[in-house]
Amino acid sequence: MRLRTLPLRDDVSGTRSKVLAVGVAPGRAPSQTIEQLVNLHYRFVWRVLRGFGLSSSDAEDAAQQVFMIAMRKLDSIDSSRERSFVYGTAMHVASNLRRGVRRRREVPEDHDTERAASASGSPEKQTELANARVLLAEILAQLPERSRRVLVLAEIEQLEVPEIANLERIPVGTAASRLRLARQQFRALLEAAQDRNPFTGAT
Amino acid sequence: MSTPDPIERLGVRLFEAAREEPVPEDAAARVLDAARARQLTPVPRLSRRAKWSLLGAAAALAAGTALLLGRHESVERISAEPSSALMHGPQRVAPAVPAPAPKAVASEASRVAPTTSTPAPVHSTHVSLSDELDALKVASGALSAGDNQGALTALDRYDHVLKGTKMRAEASLLRIEALSRSGQTGAASALAQQFVDTNPESPLADRARSFVKQ
Repeated sequence: MRLRTLPLRDDVSGTRSKVLAVGVAPGRAPSQTIEQLVNLHYRFVWRVLRGFGLSSSDAEDAAQQVFMIAMRKLDSIDSSRERSFVYGTAMHVASNLRRGVRRRREVPEDHDTERAASASGSPEKQTELANARVLLAEILAQLPERSRRVLVLAEIEQLEVPEIANLERIPVGTAASRLRLARQQFRALLEAAQDRNPFTGAT
Repeated sequence: MSTPDPIERLGVRLFEAAREEPVPEDAAARVLDAARARQLTPVPRLSRRAKWSLLGAAAALAAGTALLLGRHESVERISAEPSSALMHGPQRVAPAVPAPAPKAVASEASRVAPTTSTPAPVHSTHVSLSDELDALKVASGALSAGDNQGALTALDRYDHVLKGTKMRAEASLLRIEALSRSGQTGAASALAQQFVDTNPESPLADRARSFVKQ
């Protein structure tokens, strides 16, 4: 399965910015303050946490933990590895949080779906998207941890393999093969779940 | 360009749905609010060596000047000294003990004339530990010489010009001592209580506690 790669939405304002080097985009000054760090990386952290199976509200709580940790260590964070730092911290926080959350759920709660359904757009469309996110979360939850991580980075964050390798601290070749395997696993699970296709239009 | 593979298209649409999910409204702002609240309470960690060296210096200075101060306090009208330390109201930005001033401090502040000290030009944005130590040495020196107002002025400079962060606990304790010695024991007690409340684990907490009025 070969999925498209699009430019990355990185900052909170939704500005499109293609991050070429993990950590800081070209021409972008490193974060000097927690405000800058949050503005640059909040969306990335929150979405990655969602991709790792946390509900919207849990992802928000976890993101807050991530930035509280980052704030304490702001002086020692290498400016070229801010993104890597918040990603690694997010992994750690999510792992801890999921230990407790797993007993309750692996997929978004109903109120997440309701919240999404109440977002802008037609109710049908929003419900469709919310159901799609539920299905995606269920499938991702069935993937091995390592596969899930690289798939989230590649397909949701749309990072290139070298960037994934950098964040995961693995060789590029390992990242590539891990991603290839993850896509195969994802496709197999998707085939098994295709009768639950949430999209009413032709797919 | 569309792909004929329905499974792949479904996968693409699922990931698109994930990408389009809106971040909860004001979530980042809530993080920043929490960060600001957190920044008001902690005392930056110091190296053990820095803590002990400053503690030692403060203790030595305090002991060395205790007798001298005791002699002069009855003569000097220290309580009339303007307290720059109490400028925690709207005019001042960063208190030494980073928490809202209690009523006791506020009420005393209203009775004290504002400081006439003129802060030095604003420092560069990067202030080293050495800069902060130097500022506190000035304050300690003034305190040991019985110049309480000079100590408070030096501490004001530390807070508002240097915007020191690394030695704030020590600066707070020096300020409490300076206030106490200048007769503003109520303000000293209030600041000491704040210090103890916000830094209960600090090695300086016991020292601060000794200034809290029972």
